[in-house]
Amino acid sequence: MPESLAVQRAKECSAIARVHEVLDEFAARDHNREILTAIRHFPAREAQWADFPGWVNGKLRSAYAAKGVSRLYTHQAAAAEAVHSGRNVVIVTPTASGKTLCYNLPVLNAILENSDTRALYLFPTKALAQDQLAELYDLNQRLDHGFGVFTYDGDTPGDARKAIREKGHAVLTNPDMLHTGILPHHTRWTRLFENLRYIVLDELHTYRGVFGSHLCNVLRRLRRIARFYGREPQFICCSATIANPGELASRLLESKVAVLDSNGAPAAAKTFVFYNPPTVNRALGIRRNYINESARVAQEFLKHELQTIVFANSRLHTEILLTCLQRANPHLPGKPETIRGYRGGYLPNERREIERGLREGKIRGVVSTSALELGIDVGSLDSVVMAGYPGTISATWQRAGRAGRRSGSSCAVLVASSAPLDQFMVRHPDYFFGHTPEHAFIQPDNLEILINHLKCAAFELPIAPREKFGDVDLPDLCARLAEAGFLHLAGENYHWTQEAYPADTVSLRSVTSDNFVIIDISGEPNVVGEIDFPSALVFVHEKAIYLHGGQQYHVEHLDFKERKAYVKGVAVDYYTDAVRYTQVRVLEVAASDRGNHPAPATLSEAKALSASPRSASAHSHSHGDVLVRSQVVGFKKIKFFTNETIGDGKLELPENEMHTTAYWVTLERPMLESLPFSVSERQSGMLGLLHALECVATLLLMCDRRDLATAIGERPPEAAPEDGRSVAVRMEEAVSTNARELFEPNLYLYDAYPGGIGFSEPLFRAHDLLVRKTRELISSCACEWGCPSCVGPPGGLAPRAKEAALAILDCLCA
Amino acid sequence: MPRTADRFSRLRALEPARPAAARPDRPALRAPDEEDRLLQLLGAGVVRNHFGEHLAIRNWYSTPEYAEPSDVSLELLSRTRDASPSRKTRATLGDPSRWLFLDTETTGLAGGTGTYAFLIGLGWWDAGGFEVEQFFMRDFTEEYSLLQELAVRITERPVLVTFNGKSFDWPLLENRFAMTRSIVAPKLAAHLDLLHPARALWKLRLGSVRLMDLERRVLDREGLGWHRKDDVDSALIPQHYFDYLRGGPLAPLAGVVRHNQMDLRGLAALFGKINAMLSDSAGRFEEYESLDLFGLSRFFERRGDSSRAQIACAQALAIGLPRDVRARARKELARMAKRRGEHERAAAIWEEMVADSQDEVHACEQLAIYYERRAKDFPRALEYAKVGLAKLRRERTACFGNSHDPYLASRFARQEKRFIERSARLERKAPPRSSRAPRRGAPGAAEPKANRALW
Repeated sequence: MPESLAVQRAKECSAIARVHEVLDEFAARDHNREILTAIRHFPAREAQWADFPGWVNGKLRSAYAAKGVSRLYTHQAAAAEAVHSGRNVVIVTPTASGKTLCYNLPVLNAILENSDTRALYLFPTKALAQDQLAELYDLNQRLDHGFGVFTYDGDTPGDARKAIREKGHAVLTNPDMLHTGILPHHTRWTRLFENLRYIVLDELHTYRGVFGSHLCNVLRRLRRIARFYGREPQFICCSATIANPGELASRLLESKVAVLDSNGAPAAAKTFVFYNPPTVNRALGIRRNYINESARVAQEFLKHELQTIVFANSRLHTEILLTCLQRANPHLPGKPETIRGYRGGYLPNERREIERGLREGKIRGVVSTSALELGIDVGSLDSVVMAGYPGTISATWQRAGRAGRRSGSSCAVLVASSAPLDQFMVRHPDYFFGHTPEHAFIQPDNLEILINHLKCAAFELPIAPREKFGDVDLPDLCARLAEAGFLHLAGENYHWTQEAYPADTVSLRSVTSDNFVIIDISGEPNVVGEIDFPSALVFVHEKAIYLHGGQQYHVEHLDFKERKAYVKGVAVDYYTDAVRYTQVRVLEVAASDRGNHPAPATLSEAKALSASPRSASAHSHSHGDVLVRSQVVGFKKIKFFTNETIGDGKLELPENEMHTTAYWVTLERPMLESLPFSVSERQSGMLGLLHALECVATLLLMCDRRDLATAIGERPPEAAPEDGRSVAVRMEEAVSTNARELFEPNLYLYDAYPGGIGFSEPLFRAHDLLVRKTRELISSCACEWGCPSCVGPPGGLAPRAKEAALAILDCLCA
Repeated sequence: MPRTADRFSRLRALEPARPAAARPDRPALRAPDEEDRLLQLLGAGVVRNHFGEHLAIRNWYSTPEYAEPSDVSLELLSRTRDASPSRKTRATLGDPSRWLFLDTETTGLAGGTGTYAFLIGLGWWDAGGFEVEQFFMRDFTEEYSLLQELAVRITERPVLVTFNGKSFDWPLLENRFAMTRSIVAPKLAAHLDLLHPARALWKLRLGSVRLMDLERRVLDREGLGWHRKDDVDSALIPQHYFDYLRGGPLAPLAGVVRHNQMDLRGLAALFGKINAMLSDSAGRFEEYESLDLFGLSRFFERRGDSSRAQIACAQALAIGLPRDVRARARKELARMAKRRGEHERAAAIWEEMVADSQDEVHACEQLAIYYERRAKDFPRALEYAKVGLAKLRRERTACFGNSHDPYLASRFARQEKRFIERSARLERKAPPRSSRAPRRGAPGAAEPKANRALW
């Protein structure tokens, strides 16, 4: 450890030199200038310092000093002051900028000043809570164990729980545990709730979409219980850089939140490189495998003795990359492995050991899933390699932030896969570097979600109709719940009247808690996995070939009532693909807009406009409530490698009906007819367009791909009655040559969650951007006939699909 | 507003919990004549205090008869693994007039703040028989007044006697008190939960120790003075109450009240039975079934009375136990003997076990220890160590035919390591004499040819 300054300086210089050497080697290989699509340099930034605020307890100040923190970064001081003044705050900081101090300092100070003070910390994962426990425990030791700090989650042993409830000044938990383990048992936590002053919400940006909508409702319940004990706790939130941290925080907390987004932490000089694997077959748009390319890039860094972290987007890819890199870097006999994997599923001790190894430099390389993207302290490394675009701009910066020794130079490389999003990013570096990160949306008043939490709330405390719980008509909802047998009005309050414990049936993370269990009956019955309800219909219908852990299973029987699928292990040379019919019916148009003309505000206006189609532009876009009916009606058997269809079958499965919200684009007849394409080419063009639209939409929304779904359907003719009941148009998702041509098709992007999750309206507002970006994606793709990176694989589409899609887009942009 | 109605009808979260429940919610408090019918049906009176009112039902029964708790059984029942009751507690505990038997009927078993105790049954010895008082809330609005009366009763009689009350009824009531934010949960002087002794005593024989099973198979059913023929199914009790709240029929409530009365009387009778068993002097043990005796021995052991545990265990073995239980009983007996320093006696039991081929691995290990440390017969110790190791490996092979349990695997590995280390040490102390068999109960196992470090 004790190195002279000169030696250290020399090392740093050589690190810079080595990073440059690696970059030069990449460039030398790139003859056609198609691999390195962007090389951006970011200069180093000096730290900006501030003193500890005057009100900080002397003991706490010296405890921090003993850890080597005698001054604060300016943003840390500002955060501490804002919290001290009693405001709800959200602190926006990049990776490794000392954000934990922002909340620990004011919270611990309050605990030291008054030992009754209690604080609840919420982390999205157990691992993060463990990491913070270590940090807080270290501080606590320096403060002679002046306070109690514990994690409380599913792993907490039963006999320790009582002590934690009494003695925990700072309790570290996760939203799921709060939801099922703490709130429904709040009487056991009287001590905590009566003194609850702070709630810390770390990694706020992870609470978006369905998860965020659930969390918002959990917080409603939390605040309701705190009020029961006479407390209005103050919130301290931390978020990675997203476009709307203040909006997200104030929607989650439903109150005013001060945004602190300056950053006083120093940053190292950094080079950001976009790496597109070389093309192997230009016509089909096939590139070299990005996993192998990522391994090659990482190996280059490792060879130059640069400590490297490799991010993969799935567990499987983590394992593949790890194997490649370990083989390339055999460890010395008797010495520990220098390349390690890191992902969920590793034991806590093993993780701690890896984190320590990284900090101390004993581990030279680590291959990780997103697990290391969040605030786990592993120090900073020399280089980061991302195997595939992480899905959002925000997450990409988070991961890139793992590289950057405070002094010296570092490098982040994004290796693109052939997915449309990845290709779009590497081919439009300005979009990435020039654009603000994504918005995070939640829809806490989604009725399906809200009612489930209302049930939990009634279980926790009898509910009075005059209370406020989200933006809904509470007396009406309570009366409906009473009618359905969940509540009973006694005096002024509704009480819970079910034996079951409602929180157990509500999962915060998955879309639905209704799961099918997959049971292998080849030998002794054995559960091999589970699958959520919507996927079950597609993947484990009878006679399907279900793939799990590399093993093929034939589905013998699907027990719909008991939610069980019975399978037998087989080895066959085909897989099955479900044929699904999806039909979307518009129930209510919330808003509609015709091209670039002024937006009609109401449905009647929209109708009036559409009554004279020739007077307006060739398309319109809308959002509103829809009813989505989908049904798996059959399946195809498809041979591996050749992809020929070698058989099919019919299935009779129940129809799945979902009321949700959608954004859609209507293409009008004259426009379609004016295009120089055949009917099937036009159809393929629309499907391809939808494929690309979906990719770009997920990018703009910062949402999981599974949260959004697509369909094509016929716009109801003008003569149809207002509620559209008599119109039931059927549209196959797959295009066959004899498909009936749609008269005026609607291209739907709908929220794949009952009731909608709030994506439709933002998409509607972002329509112009969405269309423009989609056009850029397709037009800049080098393939000839369409590829998975733009309009989808050529096999399923007519030959001129890409051209047709572009032609439609040209009309949309006109 | 057809569209709004449509919107709600599609919500899964609003689907009725069960079809029958879908009826309009109406207040449980009804017209005066119906209220009177409820009072008559339950034989109840209205209790009023400053929190409001609720119903109370009182009955005196000649059975079960008063059972005088013996000092021994009090000591055993109130002692926990690591603490004995204080002097003051002991004084309160010794006065049966301060005892309160308690059993609640609740709106569910899930616990948490949304589960209510709508019927609270209390009982105490009175005039040679058993007095039962039940508090019933006609609607949730009556909970406070009911809890207030309960607090008064518990303050009068602060020794609680329950069946599974330590983990269910009492925490639930504590929750209810906490939810009022105004009525403080009374402090208990002691809490005797009969589930734990009942489980120790009868789980082996009966498999299940629900109060009803105990009534049928342990207590003298004919002499109880009540029968369960028309008893309500306890799983349906919450639903009966919910139905009543929503204006459903009153009759099932009478069944629930009766069920609670029988449970309380059963609880008191069970106390009598356990009290008698614990108070018995060793000489009368023959009257019991051997499995119950072994159970009794385990209960004595758990509560720290090892001398009685040993007597009961030996007695149980003497009467005769089924094969699998016999091994456990012998193991226990040997362990107790060893702990008291009766090493020869323990060794004799282990040798019996080896001869009888029951849990031989454990017995071999213990014998190896015994011959090494106590008898100093190293060759003999070595032989037992080797036989034990061979048996252990055979057992492991048999176990892993089916599955791979990591805990089992590590247990085997630990045991194996101990055997190997012991054998190595013993070989140093005394090289093995040429294949000399032990004198008694010669184990006919094939001995491993060599000690391989790892398999």
